[in-house]
Amino acid sequence: MGNKSPVFWLFIAPVLVALLLVVGIPLFMGFFYTFTNWNGLGFDQFVGFEHYSRLLDDERFLSSLWFTIQFSVVSVVLLNIIGLGLALIVTQKLKSSNFLRTIFFMPNLIGGLILGFIWQFIFINVFGQIGQLMNIEGLQGWLSTPATGFWGLVILTVWQLAGYIMIIYIAYLQNVSGELIEASQIDGAGPVQRFKNVTFPLIAPAFTVSMFLTLSVSFKIYDQNLSLTDGGPFNSTEMVAMNIVYTAFDSNEMAYGQAKAVVFLIFVSIIAISQVYYNKKREVEM
Amino acid sequence: MRSMKKLNGWLLLGLAGMILTACNGEDEATEGTDEGDVVDVEIFQGKVEFRDHFIELSELYEEENPNVNIEFSAVGGGTDYFSALRSRFSSGDEPDVFSLAGPSELNDYQDNVLDLSNHAAVDEAIEGTLEGAIDEDGNVRGIPFQQEGYGLLYNKRIFNEAGIDADEILTYEDLEEAVETLDDQKDELGIDGVFALPGAEAWVMGDHLANTYLSPEFNGDMMEAYESDTVDFERADEMERMLRLQNDYSIEPVLNMDYSQQVEEYFSLERTAMIQQGDWVHPTLEQMDPDFANEHVGVLPLPVDGYEGHIPVDVPNYWAINDGVEDEVIEEAEAFFEWMYTDEEGIAAVQDKLDMIPAHEGFDVEEIDAPIQQEIYEYVLEDNTLGWIFTGYPQGFGNDFGAYMQEYLAGEREWDDVIEAGQNEWEETRQ
Repeated sequence: MGNKSPVFWLFIAPVLVALLLVVGIPLFMGFFYTFTNWNGLGFDQFVGFEHYSRLLDDERFLSSLWFTIQFSVVSVVLLNIIGLGLALIVTQKLKSSNFLRTIFFMPNLIGGLILGFIWQFIFINVFGQIGQLMNIEGLQGWLSTPATGFWGLVILTVWQLAGYIMIIYIAYLQNVSGELIEASQIDGAGPVQRFKNVTFPLIAPAFTVSMFLTLSVSFKIYDQNLSLTDGGPFNSTEMVAMNIVYTAFDSNEMAYGQAKAVVFLIFVSIIAISQVYYNKKREVEM
Repeated sequence: MRSMKKLNGWLLLGLAGMILTACNGEDEATEGTDEGDVVDVEIFQGKVEFRDHFIELSELYEEENPNVNIEFSAVGGGTDYFSALRSRFSSGDEPDVFSLAGPSELNDYQDNVLDLSNHAAVDEAIEGTLEGAIDEDGNVRGIPFQQEGYGLLYNKRIFNEAGIDADEILTYEDLEEAVETLDDQKDELGIDGVFALPGAEAWVMGDHLANTYLSPEFNGDMMEAYESDTVDFERADEMERMLRLQNDYSIEPVLNMDYSQQVEEYFSLERTAMIQQGDWVHPTLEQMDPDFANEHVGVLPLPVDGYEGHIPVDVPNYWAINDGVEDEVIEEAEAFFEWMYTDEEGIAAVQDKLDMIPAHEGFDVEEIDAPIQQEIYEYVLEDNTLGWIFTGYPQGFGNDFGAYMQEYLAGEREWDDVIEAGQNEWEETRQ
């Protein structure tokens, strides 16, 4: 880095300054505030690690963390299966494949808040009406129990993000060389074997990217959560991001909320880094 | 080549510098005009639904006082407003006038708001409307904005058809009987349920319903609740009874029903006979169906033993003036509120533009157009009110207690447990 010309630094300066201003400094300040009784306006004493030790007994925070983990695991699995499935469909030689790509990608263009409200209508009104007409108990009262709230969120997230993940898989699928496929065909591999032993290892990098993306997105979800269930019923579908906002702005404990955010940051970083490290190791060197 | 690059670098640097100074120059220019003849007063508040009416009101005022420019800005209700206010203060972009909800907010902004003890609008305030704006030293720090009240809003047409006289409903037993009568005739009346209980809205239960049965033990005084270390829930059984009644006869499912479904879909489309809400629903109802809003809606008090026929009414917001701004801005802000709440013309304009329950003497009950507001104001005049104490709750208590009630409705928590959890939470927060 030392031998870079001043022009290099000049060009990179705006980004560095912006990053420092909107990420670096707030992060540092926020970290500092967690050791005080800051209320958003000012603070008058240092409390040491009190906020952090309090976290361990905060049932609501822990249950929101547990809910987020469950939600993330389920949606990461579903997102990758469905995303890959969609990618496989649209990379077949179909006439409608461009049309399908557009359709599958479209949910991703709608903002999370609006999607939440749309799905709220679907779950409550549409499901309810259909359930009433056809006398299906399971379709009625969606979002009014913790379980339906959970699955509602999963469905919404998967529906929204699957198209995006599909695009990533498409890019990698198209890079799989035809020669290898052909060679495996000549060797007598069936479609399943071909996918498992040839295609799959070759698109492993796509898994790294997609899993990292889906994991971090599903951990940080807030707007979908807010507009679909708003944590209800009885805070059972409250995710960590929402719990942090609630602590900071509703209970008005800014410093405590900040402490939760710091813990959350560390938590997500550890998961993300270890996951990238592990997946990198498995990738096939070409 | 190398020197070329260097040159480019310096050129860019120079350009950046020029842009930066240009920005500075602009800032100075706008500040310059502020010090001219017109005084800008910025009012920052959380009632989005009133914003347009406020602007009309301030235009009227500006016509008579051309040296003042009043700007209303609004940020969506509740939580959002207070976080926005907080960030404006911490970023140094403080509004001249802003609204505060009660003692806990006042406590946070104590050092930033002007002492209004001698303001004319404070003198004119109806007795009991100032309690949430008094600081530790007994000074008044806010002007009551208006009053709000809630109860059971009922559909007059449906009550008539069912042969129920709302005036005769006073006690819980009366109400239960009426509810059963309505429930028996559900099909003939064309309703899906007697009540529409919005189980998804924790505040309807945790703030409003709970307040009705907690108010007596704090003598209806929000300051008493604000200072109290504990809560006894003396009327826990009555609270449960009322919650049960609303839940048992409500349109199903309760736990995913939200405010807009309750008010717009069920009440204004006459699919339910009663909802527990307050006068703030009037603009929404009027938008849906003006005829229904103005002719067919009545208010019933929630029955509280020993306080039958009392409606919980109080001041949800106070105007506070920032004492850190220039003297002339403070002066003009004070003059504006004096006009709004004590001047004959101002009062007439307010009554014309805003549908609200007044918190000041000098307003005329006949001039209130909205029926819910008018009916509740009559309770105020007869002194048949219960104070709101939920503005004196520990922070976050209303939402959490509402969540416990949701668990109770879902059958996941016994009522005794709800009360115990509520008590624990209150005591922990007040430690």
